[in-house]
Formats: sequence, structure tokens, C-alpha cells
Amino acid sequence: MEKSHLFRAERLAAGYEEKTILHDINVDIPSNKISVIIGSNGCGKSTLLKTLAKLIKPSQGEITLDGKAISKIPPKKLAQLLGVLPQSPIVPEGITVADLIGRGRFPHQSLFSGWSKKDYEAVAEAMEMMKVTEFADLDIDELSGGQRQRVWIAMALAQQTDILFLDEPTTFLDITYQVEILDLLTDLNKKHGTTIVMVLHDINLSARYADYVFAMKQGQLLAEGAPEEVITDALISDIFGMECVVIDDPVSHTPLVVPVGRYHSTVNLF
Amino acid sequence: MKSELTNFHFIRAGMQKRRRRWLFVTAVLTISACLLCCLMLMLGNTIYPVNEVVRSLFGEQIQGVTFAVNTIRFPRMLAGVFAGFAFGVGGYIFQTMLRNPLANPNVLGITSGSSVAAVFCITVLHTSNAVVSVASVGAGLATVLVMYVLSKGKTFSIGRLILIGIGIQAMLDAFISYLLLLSAQQDISAALLWLSGSLNGVQLSELPPLMLTVLGLTPIAALYGKQLNMLELGEQTASSLGVATNKTRLVLIVWAVFLVAVATATTGPIAFISFLAGPIANRLVDIGASNIIPAGLVGANIVLIADLIGQFAFEYRFPVGVITGLIGAPYLIYLLIKMNRKGEL
Repeated sequence: MEKSHLFRAERLAAGYEEKTILHDINVDIPSNKISVIIGSNGCGKSTLLKTLAKLIKPSQGEITLDGKAISKIPPKKLAQLLGVLPQSPIVPEGITVADLIGRGRFPHQSLFSGWSKKDYEAVAEAMEMMKVTEFADLDIDELSGGQRQRVWIAMALAQQTDILFLDEPTTFLDITYQVEILDLLTDLNKKHGTTIVMVLHDINLSARYADYVFAMKQGQLLAEGAPEEVITDALISDIFGMECVVIDDPVSHTPLVVPVGRYHSTVNLF
Repeated sequence: MKSELTNFHFIRAGMQKRRRRWLFVTAVLTISACLLCCLMLMLGNTIYPVNEVVRSLFGEQIQGVTFAVNTIRFPRMLAGVFAGFAFGVGGYIFQTMLRNPLANPNVLGITSGSSVAAVFCITVLHTSNAVVSVASVGAGLATVLVMYVLSKGKTFSIGRLILIGIGIQAMLDAFISYLLLLSAQQDISAALLWLSGSLNGVQLSELPPLMLTVLGLTPIAALYGKQLNMLELGEQTASSLGVATNKTRLVLIVWAVFLVAVATATTGPIAFISFLAGPIANRLVDIGASNIIPAGLVGANIVLIADLIGQFAFEYRFPVGVITGLIGAPYLIYLLIKMNRKGEL
């Protein structure tokens, strides 16, 4: 199942109404890796993800998947290759967990085909992976926030795409669930070679879980590369407009950002 | 910890159970609609046994029976079944697509649009029934078009659509009142009968448009039922799962509006059917599958039951719309209280 794809955006500009949010962005998504887009609030990271996912139409530039413009790929075909988990998906009232996850199979089902063995297997595997099997017949309203988020990711997994985009999959979750979800996504990447691109708020978790980081500021791509190269004192201070010290994460030996602030600091920076 | 194979069977069993329930409920609703149809044909001023009804329908001339059954009860029954089905399906589509139980053709002004045209034809132009039908279909479609253009904006917004619909409805209802105030005494009763929704005096010759619309367009349910369920997940999720959202929404809206407008033209706006059928169907079946057909069947069942009640439960014969109004209004109040508690209003 491990399959490489060339996902590229060139000279991309996009925005809402009259306001341009993204300016001249060039991106090559590293295949079979976990990439994270970081940046401060309102820098356009969600907009970039949505534009790449064809949820927003770019005003300029071109996005190609394996050399083909994604605007020319039929929606169902694209949905077989690229799965997206939006920031705040809408839950239909009164649907069971298994049926909701089953809707992830839509792009693989033709008009009159019923449910094949493969469909059930995909749903079962996705549920297994996100550890939501026991909730299968429950109403989704009965789940906690963390469980619900795992159900949404399971729906995207049931789609069985080689590429998966997630817009802040850990926001509003306790640290325990944040780590759990990032672990599960790493499992997915290791097991199936799924290319994952996500927007994350927590910069230290980003540094730990990402193979590759895109750093954005004011609608532009400021830096990209391995976390060790991108997450430095200077760059983080620039992006977030805040002094900070980057040290070694004692657990993962990835960069760990420690903010300075105006109080409590014993470090003499300059 | 269960093995992967057991999990597979566990999940499949649950999903298949819910699918069997869908089939079961649909079958029960179909059977009960058929039984109600038989009752509609048998009951009346005189009660005729089944065999006489059947013989009469197959063309045998039986003194008294043939006229009552073939000319009065049979068209009435058909109008009830098809209009109920059309209102049920139309309402379900709007409620599901807009993710709001309050969103139905009444609230969105479609019914009012049809009503204005019908009342205008009845009280001012004094046209035939056929013209009333055509005008009310046209006006219903035109209302939707106006609403769609007004609510379009740069991006589609459900809230805007509903608010504009409510505004248009209020305006059109005011216009209906104005027309009624102006019109002559004898026209008012005809107009009011039409407005309350009635199966009285429906003739066989008026039915083909409604029947063809329902029968001809129902296959869309098979084509777009799944897509409708996907739209329920929201614009972004649906489109990332490969649904052509704009096209799907357009097909579904046009279909639902057509069904409702044609049914309204035939029977008048039978109150609350499009509002009640969807939620009842969703309660009977889980919402995992597309409930378009069950909602239509629920609609047909309610209309037939309400018409039987209206005809025989009281000393005076009430038009079907009065009865469905009596059933529907408490549900609307219940729903408003429930939504208010959840902070959805």
C-alpha cells in the first residue's frame, strides 16, 4: 500500500472575499512523511491546508498531484487519494459511530454497489487503529471530545488514502489525548507509509512528531526543513514575535521551545 | 482484547442490523399505507366490502358502488398517497440538507409562493383548477429562485437561506390576507378550502402531473440519497469525501421544490406533513442510511390517517389539512422548546 506521490503547489495565492491571505507559496509535500505547518494565529496555515485540499479555490498558482492539476481530477477520484479532516466537522444528530466512520467509504463505492467485504474491513481496521471499536454501536453524542476526535480520524482512515491532511486534530484536547492522537497518526505513517500533513498549535509536539516543518508568517512560507533546522531561537522569535530559548527535549532530543516572557526569567539573554 | 476478525464481525453485524431495520420499517410503512388505501376505498357514507371495491375498480358496473368508489374515493385516495409522499420527501430533503428540523418548504416560503398564485387565480382571475395548478407550481418555483438569488452571497450559508425564506414567507402570507380581504364572499370559501389543504373533490383527471412527478423523480433517491447523507456532514467534509457539493445541492433542491410545488398545486398545502415526516422517519430508522423513501411513506401514511379521521371521527367533515395541523402544531411547539433548551435557536 505504501505509495509515493508528488504533491506540489506553485506560486499559490488564496484568500477569502477580497482579502488575500496566502502570498506566492511554493510547496513540495514530502511523500510518506509527517509534515507539520506551524505559525502564529491568523498566519494562514489553515488556509494553506484547505487550499491544498481543494476546499478553497486558489486565486493564483497551481496545485498538482503526480503532475496532474487537482482541479482537473474528478472529486471522487481525488478523494480516493487524499483524505481531509476539517477543523470542526459537523456531526449529524443521532448517527452511530460505525455508520459515521462508514461514510468514509463513500469515494470507493459506486452508485449501486452495496457494502463489500473490503468496505467493512476498511471500517474495522480504521476503528481498530483509532481504538474506537467498542463504541461501534453507540450514538456519537455519547462520546467525549477525545473519543469523538478519534472517531473523526477513523472516518478519514476508512477512506484509505495515501495522503491525509488534518487541520488541528489535537486542539481542545487534554495533553494526554493530544499525545495519544499524534502517536496513533505516527503508527499510521509507519504502518502504511501514509503521507500526513497537519496544522498543529503546539510547537513542541510539532517538533517531536514532524519529519518536516513548514513555518509560516503573514501568509508566506518563511522556512521549511527538518525540525532541528527550522525550530531555532531566531526563527521562532521571529514567527511568534516573542523571545524564546530553544533547548534539547530530554525525551525525544528534538527542539524544545521555552518562552521567555517578562516575568520569572532568570536567563540573561543579551 | 478482541481479535481483528471478531472486531470485523462485530462491526459488520451492527451495521447490517441497522440496514435490516431500514428494510423492515420500509416494508411495514408500505403495508400500512396499502391497508389505509383499502380503508379509504371501502369507507364512506356506505361501507362497501373489498370484493365489490375491487370488481368496481376493474371496470365492473355495480349499482351505487362504481360511482362512489371510482369517481370519488379512488382519486381521493391516490391524491392522498402521492401528495403525502411528495410532501414527506420534499420536507426530508430540506431538513437533512440544511441540517435543521425547522427548515421545510413551508418555512422557506415555497408553499406560500404557491398559495399566493392559487388564491390570486381563484379569487381574482376565476380560472379553472388546471390553471390554478400550473400557476401555483410556477409560483412555487419562482419563489425558490428569488430566495436562492437573494441568499446566494459569496459563499453558501444555511442561516441566510432560512432567514430569507422566513422573510419571504411573511411577506407572501400578508399578500394572501390582502387578496382574501378584497375578494367576494363566494370566492373566499373556495380559496380557504384550497389553503387548508384538502382531498375533497379531487378528480382523476387532475392527478397525472402529481403521479408522474412522484413516480418519475423518485429514482433520484437512489442516485442522490447517499450524497444527501454526505452533505449532512457539512460542506468541507462532504467535498473532501468526493461529493460534488454544488451540483448535488442544486439537483436536490430542484427535485424537492418540484415535488412540493406539484403536490401543493393538487391538494393545497396540507399542513405540517413536510415538517413531520422526516423526523418521524429518522426516529423509526437509524439515520445511517438514506431515509428519503421512509420519509415519503410516513408522509403518505399521515395524510391517509388524517383524512380518515377528518372524514369519520367527527360529526362535521374536516379537510385533511385541519387534522394534520392539529397533529403538527404541538410537535412544532415541542421542537421549539427542545431546540431552545439546547441553545440551537
